[in-house]
Amino acid sequence: MKGKLLPAFFAAGLTLLLGASVLGVQLQSQGIDTVVMVHGPLTWLGLFAAAVVVFAYQLIKGRVQRVREKARQGSRFRLPAFLENPAQRRLMIALAIGALLLFPFLAERSAIDIATLTLIYVMLGLGLNVVVGLAGLLDLGYVGFYAVGAYTYALLNSYFGFSFWEALPIAGGMTALFGYLLGFPVLRLRGDYLAIVTLGFGEIIRILLNNLTEITGGPNGIARIPEPSLFNLQFARRADEGYTSFHEFFGIAYDPTHKVMYLYILSLLFALAVAYIIYRLMRMPIGRAWEALREDDIACRSLGLNPTAVKLSAFTIGASFAGIAGSIFAARQGFISPLSFTFIESAIVLAIVVLGGMGSQLGVILAAIAMTLLPEIAREFNEYRMLLFGLIMVLMMVWRPQGLLPLKRPQMELKRG
Amino acid sequence: MEASLYFLQQVINGLTIGSTYALIAIGYTMVYGIIGMINFAHGEIYMISTYVVFIVIAGLSMLGIDSTAFLIVAALLVAIVVASAHAFAVERVAYRPVRGSKRLIALISAIGMSIFLQNYILLAQGSRDKAIPSLLPGGWQFGGDGFAVNLSYMQVIIFVVTLVSMTVLALFISRSRLGRACRACSQDRGMANLLGINTDLVISMTFVIGAALAAVAGLLLGMYYGVVNPYIGFLAGLKAFTAAVLGGIGSIPGAVLGGLILGVAEALTGAYLSTEYNDVVSFGLLILILLFRPWGILGKPEVEKI
Amino acid sequence: MNTIMRKSLLALAIGAGMTSLSAQAEITIGLAGPVTGPVAQYGDMQFIGAEMAIERINAQGGVNGEMLKGVKYDDACEPKQAVAVANQIVNDGVQFVVGHLCSSATQPASDIYAEEGILMITPASTSPTITEAGYETVFRTIGRDDAQGPVAGRFIAEHIKPENMAIIHDKQQYGEGVATAVRDTVEEAGIDVAVFEGITAGQQNYSSLVSKLKRENVDFVYYGGYHPELGLILRQAKELGFDAQFMGPEGVGNPDISKIAGEASEGLLVTLPQAFETDPKNADLVAAFEAKNQDPSGPFVMPAYTAVYLMAEGMKATESTDPFEVAEYLHQNTSDTPIGEVKYDESGDLEEFNFVVYNWHADGTKTKAETGEAQSDTAQ
Repeated sequence: MKGKLLPAFFAAGLTLLLGASVLGVQLQSQGIDTVVMVHGPLTWLGLFAAAVVVFAYQLIKGRVQRVREKARQGSRFRLPAFLENPAQRRLMIALAIGALLLFPFLAERSAIDIATLTLIYVMLGLGLNVVVGLAGLLDLGYVGFYAVGAYTYALLNSYFGFSFWEALPIAGGMTALFGYLLGFPVLRLRGDYLAIVTLGFGEIIRILLNNLTEITGGPNGIARIPEPSLFNLQFARRADEGYTSFHEFFGIAYDPTHKVMYLYILSLLFALAVAYIIYRLMRMPIGRAWEALREDDIACRSLGLNPTAVKLSAFTIGASFAGIAGSIFAARQGFISPLSFTFIESAIVLAIVVLGGMGSQLGVILAAIAMTLLPEIAREFNEYRMLLFGLIMVLMMVWRPQGLLPLKRPQMELKRG
Repeated sequence: MEASLYFLQQVINGLTIGSTYALIAIGYTMVYGIIGMINFAHGEIYMISTYVVFIVIAGLSMLGIDSTAFLIVAALLVAIVVASAHAFAVERVAYRPVRGSKRLIALISAIGMSIFLQNYILLAQGSRDKAIPSLLPGGWQFGGDGFAVNLSYMQVIIFVVTLVSMTVLALFISRSRLGRACRACSQDRGMANLLGINTDLVISMTFVIGAALAAVAGLLLGMYYGVVNPYIGFLAGLKAFTAAVLGGIGSIPGAVLGGLILGVAEALTGAYLSTEYNDVVSFGLLILILLFRPWGILGKPEVEKI
Repeated sequence: MNTIMRKSLLALAIGAGMTSLSAQAEITIGLAGPVTGPVAQYGDMQFIGAEMAIERINAQGGVNGEMLKGVKYDDACEPKQAVAVANQIVNDGVQFVVGHLCSSATQPASDIYAEEGILMITPASTSPTITEAGYETVFRTIGRDDAQGPVAGRFIAEHIKPENMAIIHDKQQYGEGVATAVRDTVEEAGIDVAVFEGITAGQQNYSSLVSKLKRENVDFVYYGGYHPELGLILRQAKELGFDAQFMGPEGVGNPDISKIAGEASEGLLVTLPQAFETDPKNADLVAAFEAKNQDPSGPFVMPAYTAVYLMAEGMKATESTDPFEVAEYLHQNTSDTPIGEVKYDESGDLEEFNFVVYNWHADGTKTKAETGEAQSDTAQ
């Protein structure tokens, strides 16, 4: 107990210092002068209370940690046993898909829209999972591909009148091309060097989109981007030429929610397709090569795999998924601007991959849901929203660094000694 | 003559910009050298330092204290203490628990911490930009016909302080006991531990030193620019990190060199091309250099042990 | 397991959404704008203006016997969040919205509001494209970029006649929009723009740009953007010995610029909407703001106040809370508001929004430019 007093005092003192310097006093503008306002006694009382709490925690910390160790050994966050059986697993997945398809008919507009946004982030997460989780390449510029996909659709539409379906494969192709081109300079780089170069690429793309106002609309962005149509049916009050409007075709009343529902179902189908494609790729030689590269690229080379080809394939395929997600994003929002493609977006998608447990698809899906819903649920807290977001990111890493559902491969390890 | 004077002016501008990146970059590079993680929250430490400097200067001025020297010294000391305290706390709370895990985990934790600190200050101090008047205005002017080159006192001070800091730090790392311990930890932490070095303390001290430099940067830049808001840390941090990587991450002279090169490149781009492409050129330069020297300018090629 | 988790998360989201539903016998006005993010300080202006209006209207008995209630929604000036906010507002059954702030946020949100028949009045978005879609229920209580720019442009062409002119902007929608409008007006009048460039907002060192302008012997600079950047540019210009006349739009007309630039802000030209806070009609309104320690001179405070005021007027006059009826009322009638007489054209723009050129002073005050007022066009 005694040995703990000093650290406890230190921690409490630190808390007081930190709080007093930033929370206790405030810079304020009065007219054109800047003055310092000392907060009232309530704030200081709060700071003092916080210091006391920290002091107390330091004293009992040992005990708390022991309890946590025991708790941790007990429970493990894992898939329930009945999901291990492949047939039952397929049944659960089918049920889940059924529930998801039913969802838009039961929920209201804002929930469906958030769900669509979540699905877009699921696609992004799965795509980045290929690069970071499977191939182990630290990519901080993923948002650049997202932007390329979105802008390809938007530009093709505003200059040449391409519809969503016509532009989609082109967007995917463009993004794949960018992924391939990005892959070349980063071939020799490792770890954090790779990270900063990819970050640089992401920023370069965003800055170019912002600067080339003549071509891309610059900071004004591109507006009035149309949604995808359903076999010539448009989801609008009045359809454009050559199209019939959905509600007229079916003889029902116009409801703006139909458009939102359609977009959701479309995103769901795409997300499922992306998940399935990656699922298959993971079990093909190319997926195995990615994972081998992540584990030990020298061993890869010695086994005859060409690391260059493997890295490039990871970048290209991962990027194309971002391109598709980008086009859907452009369609959902109807307006894009470089503001939507900042570094923070890359960071959020990266957090999704890490939180999900690198390589694990299911984990990434869950993490994407959590990360998208979190800011929305936290709207209740208004100005504390982003604060909580940052805090939760830190807490998630501290408490569960291996991710929600870390990928478990059947493996054998030599027991030493 | 005019053209070369203009060039000189822009180089001076660039060196000033570069020095600011250098001071913050040193913090990044030291932390990376020791624990191999990118401390994204470092930029926010710089931002917090600037706030503290403003608070001290504004507060002391309110109390009627006029002496510029006193204000500067007081602000510097308080900023160093507060910044170090923040860095220490951040390391204990967000980085130490994830030290054993993969570096990606620490990265996400750092980014989360950065978002947290930005919004923390936003809530504590408000969103409006705060400003203080210039404490050391004025400078020298030379050059004659056509173009007069201005060199302000602050510009000189910033550059000199950066070089002095770099030298002091380099001496510290190579001569002192703690410096030796730092080097040992960055080479092989496990071994250092076995030899009786308190690695936890060394790591904490590294963060503290980095934060102290960020505080110096906060003071200098706070005086030079005179404006602070909760978001200045992010952009400055990003550039500084780029500078650290450019110079070779883990090397302190590299961080300074990288910072200066980046700053001059930015200034010259603005001078001869367009300020819109500043960042594109910075990143482009980085990519180019890393293409031919993947470990940065002064970095050491990592030998991969099989 | 994953289904259960998904379902419970969804339930949480729906639940969270529903808890914001307003109670009966209250008219909810959504206040959408940046609560967090780099432009939160401008969001604040919008919020104080609107909330003051709600307070005062409620103090006088509310609207048609019902009290007004303001609910803030945070879009952080981001289009993605603006869409989420708009959908949330639809969900919450709110039918009147004051917002958003940033044009890039208002743009996608307005599409949703128009679809769902929600009345939206923006007190701050100046991009012309917002009213170009011809939505009946979308309005503004502020001028457009292509109205403010020409005012400045004409002033420059007629009164200043610079020899070497530069136009700088901050590569954001508002700044670049105004700067482009100024450039077009000035070039039409035959003045050649030597430098047209953008800076990065948030970067603090503009010495490179200032030295370049000095080298080109620029004697007049128009800056499109906000006060933090221009303040820094002015300050650094002084240090680098660059002595030119600067001019900016209302985004720079903030006492904070004198705080940042000090002496260097003396003589800055600013186009501002008429200083509503100096209008004697608004004296007690200004006093009410000052009593709460709030600054009524921010460019978006009075327009936000007016937005709420107009909604209340419309509801009282039509004795209904149907957005379409209120919208029709606004289109057809003239109202007397703190920002002057308000009359709308078909697309929801103010028919008259006067911008006046002011001389800014180092102590944060302003006086009308000696060469007289310049009037804006009716919105195109």
